Amino acid sequence: MYRARITALAVALVCTAPGIALAQSNTELEEIRKEIQNVRESYEKRIQELETRLQQAEDSAQRAQETAQRAEQQAQSAAATAPAASAAPSQNAFNPGISLILQGAYRNYSEDPDTRGITGYAPAGGAGLGEKGFSINESELTLSASVDQLFYGQATFAVEDEAIEVEEAYAQTSALGHGLTLKGGRAFSGIGYQNSLHPHAWDFLDPALVQNVFLGPNYVMDSVSATWIAPLPVFAEVGGEIGRPVEFPFEDSNHSKNGFTGGTLFARLGGDIGASHSYRAGGWWMRAENRTDEGTPILDFDDRTGVANTLAGGDTEVWGLDLVYKWAPDGNPTRRNFKLVAEWMQRKLDGVLTYDNGGAGVSDAFQAKQNGWYIQGVYQFIPQWRLGLRYDRLDSGSIDSGVNEANGITAADYSPYRWVAMVDWSASEFSRLRLQYNHDKSQQGLTDHQVFLQYIFSLGAHGAHKF
Amino acid sequence: MRHLIAIAATLVATLSATAASAAVDVFACVPEWGALASELGGAKVSVYVASTAKQDPHRIEARPSLIARMRSAEIAVCTGADLEIGWLPVLLKTAGNNKVQVGQPGYFMAAELVPRLEVPARVDRAQGDVHPYGNPHVHLDPRNILRIGQALAERLAQIDAANAAYYQSRWTDFDARWRKATAVWEGKAAPLRGMKVVPYHRDSSYLVNWLGLTEVTTIESKPGVPPSAGQLAALLNRLQAEPAGAITVGAYTDPKAAEWLSERTRIPVVTLPYTVGGTPQANDLFSLFDDTIDRLLAARK
Repeated sequence: MYRARITALAVALVCTAPGIALAQSNTELEEIRKEIQNVRESYEKRIQELETRLQQAEDSAQRAQETAQRAEQQAQSAAATAPAASAAPSQNAFNPGISLILQGAYRNYSEDPDTRGITGYAPAGGAGLGEKGFSINESELTLSASVDQLFYGQATFAVEDEAIEVEEAYAQTSALGHGLTLKGGRAFSGIGYQNSLHPHAWDFLDPALVQNVFLGPNYVMDSVSATWIAPLPVFAEVGGEIGRPVEFPFEDSNHSKNGFTGGTLFARLGGDIGASHSYRAGGWWMRAENRTDEGTPILDFDDRTGVANTLAGGDTEVWGLDLVYKWAPDGNPTRRNFKLVAEWMQRKLDGVLTYDNGGAGVSDAFQAKQNGWYIQGVYQFIPQWRLGLRYDRLDSGSIDSGVNEANGITAADYSPYRWVAMVDWSASEFSRLRLQYNHDKSQQGLTDHQVFLQYIFSLGAHGAHKF
Repeated sequence: MRHLIAIAATLVATLSATAASAAVDVFACVPEWGALASELGGAKVSVYVASTAKQDPHRIEARPSLIARMRSAEIAVCTGADLEIGWLPVLLKTAGNNKVQVGQPGYFMAAELVPRLEVPARVDRAQGDVHPYGNPHVHLDPRNILRIGQALAERLAQIDAANAAYYQSRWTDFDARWRKATAVWEGKAAPLRGMKVVPYHRDSSYLVNWLGLTEVTTIESKPGVPPSAGQLAALLNRLQAEPAGAITVGAYTDPKAAEWLSERTRIPVVTLPYTVGGTPQANDLFSLFDDTIDRLLAARK
């Protein structure tokens, strides 16, 4: 029993001895575990740190790459734009944009232009025909640019043999908004269709007869003007100008009056009909006061009296209607296109007419009411080539000359007209060569056969053309 | 009297409500930017596209209808880089609209936002109607669409701040769809790499560059100038000696010269949509690229 106890104890001891040993090793293990745990934790921490560092490194690498890419792109675009900057001076980027129109013609007349008149409208030599033979009289220099954030400025100088003429020099607003534009300076009046076009943009070498005799050939004013475009899906514009007419309709529209000697009003509608057709139609009115004392030789009565009659005082009023219609298949004018323009005008001329017969002047009130019109079509039948045809007509109208009626100051019994045909060729948008023939019956009893050869070259800033 | 006041109040409320919810008026010079503005602006924009795929973007008339639309636009989205130089300046000058003038948020020129190819080292019109700012037909590289799209979304958000979040979400959505589509296009177009093409006008340079095509030459000897008979004959000799995979013409170009060459060289003419609406299949920006690649692949077979 005792032995058994001892044995049991021994067994127990034996059994527990490793237990003690185990217990000892357990605590060590625990420590080791802890250490491992510590190590692991610190490792994990380090790994985490490393991972975040790696992530950061990767991020920054990516960023660096992105930056590099961006830099490369920028470099590319810089490379792409840099030559453009150096190439810019010959283009619009140049400030101001410079555009030079080289224009000239060879003219051949069967009648002498220096003695040619327009029956009922212009005395001999007053038909407004260009010089015989070769001339370069219509070259133009245009400078234009934004003035600042509010204004845009443009000037066009016509270069002629004796002088440089200021055709236009104006500034206009660009920041008013609401469809409103104000303009001040010297500018082609916005009335009608042909009036605001520079000669290089005309479809024929010469202006229409009615344009030439009533507005001659561009009615220019030193003025302020306003135009307003309605907020509609169709084009609806109204406008007006007030100021002083330059040179025309009275030769010396001098500064003898404060304020205004001329004004205009105009209204237009325009839009598209499908993709292939577009139009613009308008009506207008202009009035100019005659402030000259000496009188202006305006009407043709020379062949009846042999001397110049002059008109003083009074005023000119002109009403007009204009229509432009354009066709291009699918709206693409590159291959084929057609353009139709028609204008009708009526003029009322008031004043005191002096019938001057060898120094014995007879003066009386005078009023003339006359009208005229033209219709023209230009067809581009293949790329680069265009054909044009125009019919011009003036009516003699009615004249009330008071006592001078007895002196033969009455309406002419003749309606001047003219047929015009042209063909032109454009190597590019920037050049045009034109051959034109006029069958001119604007002077009673004469047929003037006129042949013109014209060139129009456009240098510098790319022109943008009006409708 | 009370009724009148009530009616007036309702009217004012309705009017101001319509004014507040009125969509941003977008004037897009060309169809591709109209399509992009619609993608990004959704219901918050009202897009007017000034030209069609059948029209040569260099030669659009400054028609009265365009002036009327420009007058009321809040943003003009155009290509710039002188593509629209023959007509856009007239519209800007005559429309009486301050919002779309140069430097305003409403003046958005897409080509200015991407690196341009073919910037000439020297500018001389003896070279034809060259663009001093490089090739402006930038939209035929989908990567450019992304760059331009992001800027346009930002610009729309600037103009119409009340809907900034809307434009942002439309952009995020478009961006994801576009990237996915681009990857598909690139995969699909892989066999086109190295394909020799002869475009009529140099209007597909960005496509050629993106897909790794080879532009042998162009039918136009100089940009904007139709080839003369002599030049066509020289081109014919060259293409007979050195055949190409396809003669490509944009929907707006006169196919005559291309067809003449094709008959004699047996090189197929491929009419590419060039822009949205150029073919019946190209209805939006996505299908524009789908169809362009499909047509090139079909020519290869």
